[in-house]
Amino acid sequence: MKELTVSSDAPGQRLFVLGNEAIARGAIEAGVQIAAAYPGTPSSEILETLAGVAKELDMYVEWSTNEKVAFEVALAASICGVRAMASMKHVGVNVAHDPLMTASYIGAKGGLVLLSADDPSAWSSQNEQDNRYIAEQGYIPVLEPSSVQEAKEMMADAFKLSEQFGQLFMLRSVTRIGHARSDITLGEISRERRKGQFIKDRTRLVYTPREARINKPLMLERFEKIKKAVNTLPYNQLKLASGAKLGIIACGLSYSYALEAVNWLGIKDKVSILKIGTPHPLPEELVIKLLTSVKEVLVAEELDPFVELHVKAIVGERNMPVKIHGEDLLTRIGELSTRKVTEAIAKLTKTKTPVDFANIDKLEQETAPLLPWRPPALCPGCPHRASHYAVRVASRRVARDYGKEIEPIYPGDIGCYALGYNPPQEASDTIICMGGSFGIASGLARVVDAPIVAHLGDSTFFHAGIPPLVNAVYNKANITMVIMDNSATAMTGFQPHPGTGYTAMGEETVLLKPEEIARACGVKFVEVVDPFNLKEATETIEKAIRFEGPAVVVSRRLCAIIEQREKKKRKEEVIPYRVDQSKCNEKCNACIELLGCPAIIKEGTKTVIDSSLCTGCGVCAQVCPYKAIVLE
Amino acid sequence: MVKEFNILITGVGGQGVILMSELLGKAAVTDGLRVRGSEILGMAVRGGSVTSAIRIGDEVYGPLIPTGKCNALVGMEPSEALRNIAYLSKSSRVILNTAVTIPFTVSIGESTYPSLEEMLAKLGKASDMIIQLDAAQLAQEAGNRLTTNIVMLGALFGTGQLPIKIATIKESIQARFPAKVAPVNIKAFDLGYETCQQAVK
Ligand SMILES: Cc1ncc(C[n+]2csc(CCOP(=O)(O)OP(=O)(O)O)c2C)c(N)n1
Ligand code: SF4
Ligand code: SF4
Repeated sequence: MKELTVSSDAPGQRLFVLGNEAIARGAIEAGVQIAAAYPGTPSSEILETLAGVAKELDMYVEWSTNEKVAFEVALAASICGVRAMASMKHVGVNVAHDPLMTASYIGAKGGLVLLSADDPSAWSSQNEQDNRYIAEQGYIPVLEPSSVQEAKEMMADAFKLSEQFGQLFMLRSVTRIGHARSDITLGEISRERRKGQFIKDRTRLVYTPREARINKPLMLERFEKIKKAVNTLPYNQLKLASGAKLGIIACGLSYSYALEAVNWLGIKDKVSILKIGTPHPLPEELVIKLLTSVKEVLVAEELDPFVELHVKAIVGERNMPVKIHGEDLLTRIGELSTRKVTEAIAKLTKTKTPVDFANIDKLEQETAPLLPWRPPALCPGCPHRASHYAVRVASRRVARDYGKEIEPIYPGDIGCYALGYNPPQEASDTIICMGGSFGIASGLARVVDAPIVAHLGDSTFFHAGIPPLVNAVYNKANITMVIMDNSATAMTGFQPHPGTGYTAMGEETVLLKPEEIARACGVKFVEVVDPFNLKEATETIEKAIRFEGPAVVVSRRLCAIIEQREKKKRKEEVIPYRVDQSKCNEKCNACIELLGCPAIIKEGTKTVIDSSLCTGCGVCAQVCPYKAIVLE
Repeated sequence: MVKEFNILITGVGGQGVILMSELLGKAAVTDGLRVRGSEILGMAVRGGSVTSAIRIGDEVYGPLIPTGKCNALVGMEPSEALRNIAYLSKSSRVILNTAVTIPFTVSIGESTYPSLEEMLAKLGKASDMIIQLDAAQLAQEAGNRLTTNIVMLGALFGTGQLPIKIATIKESIQARFPAKVAPVNIKAFDLGYETCQQAVK
């Protein structure tokens, strides 16, 4: 028997999957033909899954250079009548925001679905923005799943709904959907493949002020129809309990927490529950039905009080005698949990909590001081560690010329190299958004007098680093821009990008070089270095900083994880370094304090290298003042 | 019918935590059980803390184990088990690999690592049943240190509490590894299983 996978045509069978695989499966069942994305946790596995089966299912799948382009690729397919999707993490939607707002005016011909992967608790993100607000701004209807199974169904349905109402739909996933695991029941796979047809339609597709004015009312009309229809969608469900004083409105994943909470409290039959699968627009008829049957309502939703505000508006407009709770008892910070919802309901119903949470909290607080700090760190042999070291040494040398008190400034960016912001590297002074390092550097150069050395990675360079680089040239900003090129989008799972020479579907393609782009953009100082040659890298970066005007250094070395994998494939041996104890001055600790490679550890007073972790990069051997680190 | 059985696996990136939850989840589905789970991916390669929850049963809806509701905690690393103490209750089983992994922050003097006694004392306040084993040692005995996680999986089943059939989990181990290394993994599972059974007695 062939093993069941996400592409199996086996309706009714059960499969254990990651949430993002389920979302991909939903798109497969809908017969999606075009999928584009830029990686970002917690969304990346969706496109990875689709890329893995694209050829077999006759789909086109791409990693685009950024989210804006990804969305445009999908939008174009939809305009031509083909089912298409773009997936991205929540902050990726900011990058795609511009076309998104007008896409809504265009409407959808081929089903068009935007997957926004929000990250409550910011597990792997720079903020925890709630993208339902972006959807609201663009009149984009939102589906929000309560489980992995529902995420699959919603994804499949979203394409149909999008075509039925001629509007783009958003599926709002969260970390605990995309990175949840669950058994799902497979549905049928649509084999329909359409041929794209571009019909010239100036009024719908060419946005001058005239078309904006023509299309906005049409968009509002479509939205009104959707507003009515959501009341009967299966994703919204009202269960009234007779005589219930308390009602719960639970949106998306919060519904699963609410169900567990009422079971745990033993009051399952005493509260009415409205499950919300479409926070935007809300199923108003169902909301009103609930509001007229209870005295108090708890709104459970993740992040901002989005549903809560809309429910309060309904209550206010109709002057209803119902008290609405939500963020007063829950929180707009971080993800929800069964515990949080249980405590909120317990308070409202004056029920005792099933567990003495205070006791558990006390034990947890007592335990906290014992726990070692275990942040994720740059891998042993990571090229970024060496690049950070070279940047810092070079920058300090130049800073001395600026004056005794002057510290260099390191605008940083988002990628694995951000892990170097912890000690001992402390390599980033700002991390804000992708590509932000170069832009921030340009601004800093106007207001402070210090060496300004910004860094970003290769994937980030192609994503959002080129416009600020051009800006630095155009506006003559005296900054140094280091591109840490490890030939991968490593942080999010080693996806290919325009600098790697191959595509999402594994095809070979041209390989773009950041140094050639920098030269073409008019940067007069462009050098490429190998970070594992610390001396040369440091000297070159120093020259770049001393150069009057914008300068670029590409620090190039393959990501250590990929390097190790390739070595293993080639059956090449890794030769680790070791500390020659007869030469090591045990108190010096320079290797540990300057580099912080996880392979270098203290055993008592001795400094040793864990040979199972060491990749043999040799960087520590170059910083050891006693020449005590040698090859095995 | 299984109502709710919650397993939390805790450890450090690179210890094979995710593989364990995949094996458990697949086996549970094969046995016709409902499964929910969740983990924080992404940081796993880079040596950070990793936790993965697997929840089995008809009354399980959410992906996360509620505070104090863990039935079995598999600690691949003692301090990481301790970090998740809030999930334990007196009746939770804790299966603890006693081999420590000291984070680099200790080497650079940014934090300290507690003694095993301190950690056991704290865990003992939360749960009455802590089963300790040197899983790396047992993995070595099985024939490969890399099977430490499978030893721990065996130990988890050795508690005799799991709603998954032993034959099923063994099948999923067999199916997961190439024929060459599958027997070592089965041996590792058995060693973990037996060690735990002894300890439970
Ligand atoms: C707008 C936006 N999209 C996606 C992400 C997710 N993300 C974080 S780091 C990263 C990759 C960075 O790759 P690169 O710059 O090459 O650095 P590396 O991780 O390879 O060192 C991505 C895509 C994000 N934070 N913001
Ligand atoms: S995955 Fe690669 S780039 Fe990221 S920290 Fe590890 S070695 Fe460095
Ligand atoms: S050579 Fe030194 S810096 Fe490089 S991986 Fe080995 S211990 Fe770490």
